Amino acid sequence: MKILSRNYSLVPVLVVAAAAMAQDKVPLKTQLPKPLFVGTPVPLNVPNLEPPLKGKRPDFMIPAGSVNLAKGKKVTASDENPVVGTLDLVTDGDKAGDEGSWVELGPGKQWLQIDLGKSANIYAVLLWHFHSQARVYRDVVAQVSDDASFKSGVTTIFNNDFKNEVGAGPGKDQNYVETYQGKLIDAKGAKGRYVRFYSNGNTTNKLNDYIEVEVWGKPA
Amino acid sequence: MEKASPRRLWSRWLAFLFIALIGLAVRLPQLGTRPMHTDEAVNAYIVGQLLAGEKYTYDPQDRHGPALATLALPLVRLQGARSFADLTESKLRLIPVVAGTITILLFGAAVDLFGLIPCMLAALLLAVAPLPVYYDRYFIHESLFCAATIGLILSGWRAAKTRSVGYAALAGACAALMFACKETSVLHWFALAAAGFASWLLNPRHDRPAGRWRAAPPLSALGAFLALALLLFTGFGTNWKGLTTLAKVAPDALSRAAGQGHEKAFWYYGRLLTGGWSGGLLCALACIGFVLAIRKRDASAYRLLACYGLFIAIIYSSIPYKTPWLALNLWLPLALLAAKATESVWHWIATTLGPRAAYPLPGALAVIAAVLIAHDTRQRVFLHAADEANPYAYAHTTEDILGLEAEIHDLAHKSGIARPRIAVIASDPWPLPWYLRQFDQVGFYQPGQQVPDADFYITSNEASQQYTDQLRDLRPDFFGVRPNVLILLWIPAPK
Repeated sequence: MKILSRNYSLVPVLVVAAAAMAQDKVPLKTQLPKPLFVGTPVPLNVPNLEPPLKGKRPDFMIPAGSVNLAKGKKVTASDENPVVGTLDLVTDGDKAGDEGSWVELGPGKQWLQIDLGKSANIYAVLLWHFHSQARVYRDVVAQVSDDASFKSGVTTIFNNDFKNEVGAGPGKDQNYVETYQGKLIDAKGAKGRYVRFYSNGNTTNKLNDYIEVEVWGKPA
Repeated sequence: MEKASPRRLWSRWLAFLFIALIGLAVRLPQLGTRPMHTDEAVNAYIVGQLLAGEKYTYDPQDRHGPALATLALPLVRLQGARSFADLTESKLRLIPVVAGTITILLFGAAVDLFGLIPCMLAALLLAVAPLPVYYDRYFIHESLFCAATIGLILSGWRAAKTRSVGYAALAGACAALMFACKETSVLHWFALAAAGFASWLLNPRHDRPAGRWRAAPPLSALGAFLALALLLFTGFGTNWKGLTTLAKVAPDALSRAAGQGHEKAFWYYGRLLTGGWSGGLLCALACIGFVLAIRKRDASAYRLLACYGLFIAIIYSSIPYKTPWLALNLWLPLALLAAKATESVWHWIATTLGPRAAYPLPGALAVIAAVLIAHDTRQRVFLHAADEANPYAYAHTTEDILGLEAEIHDLAHKSGIARPRIAVIASDPWPLPWYLRQFDQVGFYQPGQQVPDADFYITSNEASQQYTDQLRDLRPDFFGVRPNVLILLWIPAPK
């Protein structure tokens, strides 16, 4: 009986603690672009395939005070002379997806990297490759590191390169169809100054497009 | 019709042969590079059936008439194809290339009607302009249809003027070939008949052909038409069901005309033809040519051509169903009228500005026009042939699908499967039959059908959720078929 009453007395403490923890987390709020393709993705309930979102994405909680660290930051890429656009378009805040809002890297395997300026704890990454038609980008890998060359201290936060074409190890994440809501990657607080994205063409052509990348976190 | 001396005739035909060879040279490079459009794949499949010894069965649903497959069969055999798997993009596309080249050459037979310079200019335009070059490299009926149309106009005009039985029979055969290409040929016959009547009405003298009316020419035209149409639609007498199917064509055609997902605005063809760097210039010249042809107070072939061009453009623009390759039909009158205008502008410069300006100024303008046309042809035909930004690449198969066959071969090789069993589950699997033709164990299933065990499954997005049990231990690799159309190749999931 004594044990029971002691346990009951713990409940308000736990509730208060949970509330305090919940207060520390806030929904990630970002401005979504206008949807550009009208074809409704077919609902899929198949194992190994990410179902397309029905309506808006559920709130994703990130620590309060997190900001988009990528906004206006320097972007570099494996392709120094993009086929279309310039690298700064990736962090300029324009996610519209119309012509002129994306950079297109050359065919095959390419990477694109954002320098956040200083090391940060990263909680979420939002990635828009292309959203004016249903496309799947191949071998998408996202990594975080404090090493600009990504040779050491690399944390992989997303990898659907299941055939290991990129060389970051076979990925187990699912393929997904690009939409105006972008791809949300849970970075789980990974620490690093640089964020790198790999891709290997897409289901329309061999090129690699990036409209916008947002990196939500706090300076470490 | 003035008779040319044999020497002049030879030199004339040599000149047109040279232009046709230019057209051939422009049409041949990289013939197999562009992915196979769904319509091309369907036509290829029909040729594959004929190669396999199956009887030709006329089916108007998305397949049009028998002419293309019938003519393709000996040509692909000549190139060594013995089965569907032996066919390649280049082997098949050689047929429209030849048809397009013949169309260019046929302008040599139009000199009596339209004049030497306009015919040479029109032939040159057809040889190098982006739209004719693009669709003359497409394994669909359009190029053959255009060749038959110009054949009908030339032989029909001669038959009407001379009441020749031979020309009338040729006109009947050309009409049959048009009909065996596409059922929409009736629209062209209507436009031609209306144009003939309109140009007769507009002619103040209401000229009649010389000599007495004879029943033999129209009868020979009808006889040639019926004989050739009968031969083609019945697969040279092997399958008479084609005739009963033919009787049911009209309801199908009417329902397609309503759009069936291909509805476009009235101005679609106008925008298509005036697009690019050179389209506006060519259309402006054609408009000048049209005005000149209509204003001319005689019963020239130009007036007939102008009326035909106007009527067929109105008919095609009024029908909700529109696809860009149909614009090839508008190119015949457009090229000749633009050529006529060019000749007239040249004369005007020579007479107004004097003989000193007769060559440098038109020469400079010709160079500018050539550069604009060459730019468009390079961009649309060669550099961005399947790009969705290219207005000619309509609902085109994307390059991504080219990797499907290699991927299956690779996976089968890694798994030690010599003859992989492939199950394709999709309500519309085209053009996959083309891209899977190298595999001899491929089954195509509609979503909902029971699908046997297979080594590889290919499904549409919609179909995949109905087969969760069969796909449970597999993961999908996406392939793009057309813009906004994806298919999934299910492969073993990583451990």
